[in-house]
Amino acid sequence: MGELVRVEHLKKYFSTPGGMLHAVDDVTFTINEGETLGVVGESGCGKSTLGRVVLKLLEPTGGRISFEGKDITDISENDSLELRKQMQIIFQDPYSSLNPRLCVSELIADPLKVFKLYNKADRQKKVYELMDLVGLARRFAFSYPHELDGGRRQRIGVARALSLSPKFIVCDEPVSALDVSIQAQILNLLQDLQQQQGLTYIFVTHDLSVVKHISTDILVMYIGVMVEKSPSKELFNKPLHPYTKGLLSAIPVPSIDHEKRQVELMGELSSPIEPKDECRFLARCQYATDQCRSQAPTYDEVMPNHFVSCHNVRQINGL
Amino acid sequence: MSLLDIKGLTIHYVTRDNTVKAVNGINLSIGESSTLGLVGETGAGKTTTALGILRLVPDPPGKIISGEIFFEGKDMLKAGDNDLRKIRGNEISMIFQDPMTALNPIIRVGDQIAEVIELHQNCTKAEAMVKSLKMLETVGIQPERSVEYPHQFSGGMKQRVVIAMALACNPKLLIADEPTTALDVTIQAQVLEMMNDLKKEFKTSMLLITHDLGIVAETCDEVAIMYAGEIVEYGLLEHIFRNAKHPYTIGLFGSIPSLDKDVDRLSPIQGLMPDPADLPSGCKFHERCNHVCDDCKTTLPDYTEIEPGHFVRCPRAVKGEI
Repeated sequence: MGELVRVEHLKKYFSTPGGMLHAVDDVTFTINEGETLGVVGESGCGKSTLGRVVLKLLEPTGGRISFEGKDITDISENDSLELRKQMQIIFQDPYSSLNPRLCVSELIADPLKVFKLYNKADRQKKVYELMDLVGLARRFAFSYPHELDGGRRQRIGVARALSLSPKFIVCDEPVSALDVSIQAQILNLLQDLQQQQGLTYIFVTHDLSVVKHISTDILVMYIGVMVEKSPSKELFNKPLHPYTKGLLSAIPVPSIDHEKRQVELMGELSSPIEPKDECRFLARCQYATDQCRSQAPTYDEVMPNHFVSCHNVRQINGL
Repeated sequence: MSLLDIKGLTIHYVTRDNTVKAVNGINLSIGESSTLGLVGETGAGKTTTALGILRLVPDPPGKIISGEIFFEGKDMLKAGDNDLRKIRGNEISMIFQDPMTALNPIIRVGDQIAEVIELHQNCTKAEAMVKSLKMLETVGIQPERSVEYPHQFSGGMKQRVVIAMALACNPKLLIADEPTTALDVTIQAQVLEMMNDLKKEFKTSMLLITHDLGIVAETCDEVAIMYAGEIVEYGLLEHIFRNAKHPYTIGLFGSIPSLDKDVDRLSPIQGLMPDPADLPSGCKFHERCNHVCDDCKTTLPDYTEIEPGHFVRCPRAVKGEI
């Protein structure tokens, strides 16, 4: 299948009193139609900002974004409105992303109204179709968000995103506010919808087990930069970057046969404000050398389709 | 005798409109220097149970309807306010989920820790401060930072301060309510390891409330699975992780995406947790259960011991039909 989204050297800086905050710094990737790119990282690594910049909800500071082969970096506001029909987002928090004064059917009809699609009767029909699609019982059509639980609210978010039949959806931590049993229901729903409608996803999350389950490729971010990208299975079987290794070893495994892990990652994230020209993972890395201190590593294809930005990746992994 | 013994504890929140049955007749016990994991989803009654132990359930609307809580043989439900004040923060202390709201934003962290020590340990302000600095060091914070305010610390560091405060008086029982839920995984791993080390060092027993079975596998000796205010399964770590019997426990395990195995589709539990103000009759789980039989809909199943120390509240599991 063809390439749907291409992002090249994307940058997003925010101006703060302390200097420029490098939220996203030189990120490059492509996503093929019908596939899912998982974006993982800890809080503050720029993963949500990345999702928003790709959708042009935030203006990029530098770099290019193309969608269906067309450069959309500098398109006008009018055109970007058209683009919204193709690209949608599902937000993390189903509590704050829904207008509390609209009922379920109004919430789902909202995007259709904005784009003046269908007449009133057809719109209502479409709303019911969408509710069926995402597994919301029709009896909730006139309930308000506060009357529903988190799982159902997130289904409204999914229905809204789907209402314009987009090709591409950014899912920004869509299940992290939900309980595990409900989380599994929503993940299954997103997978089913992808298969039925050939959707393409960027799936932003901090939960590595979720991302493994749903992604084709995984991109690991650390303080605004890409540290590793590879096909999903390979990342879990053969992580190459020291940060990815640490991240994987930090996940508590729900099994008592699993060997007790060692805490590999000490310390915390350093500041993303005016970073120096050095490896951003330096402070937490046990393999740091002088080269890491004097120069930021480049992002190289270490193995086929497996990209890592680390000076010492070959030595560390014996490649 | 165990350190903490809870028998038939029932806590309801009574409001003008309805009664929320948060905790319904639970039995728990925690032995000396052992850790019990209390697992369940949002609204299962985990936090209410913890607050009940410390007699901190807000009243009104919260009411401890019935049951007994024995801590070292003392009946907590008969203890007066003075006795309770001596126990809270001293013999039983609590770590809350959100370190951002558990600390006073306008008091230096060193003083906040010293306050607990001064209150419970009959010592001068200066002595308390010395102990406070030592506690900060124990949890891996440089003592020089004791003059800083909570907002100057990161989330993980704040949780360390909260832990230092909780352990300052060397409590016999530590109640940790989702202590790492607000933290990133790498920071969570650091905090959990530190808690495990300190627990051993101070020989503290712990009640760990969590929804993460991974954390339970790493930290607990015993596990209680809670659903709609009841304990549906209770046993040693091996019982729950190797030989889970209750359909809800099995469903919980099926809902977690696995890192080791490749699963194409998760097998979630169907439906939703019942409204605790309007609980179904019989087994509270019957509406979501794949193994439901007619009896389940009408009679509350007995809490049965199926092997030494392993309890299940499901008649079909007891008969070995699941």
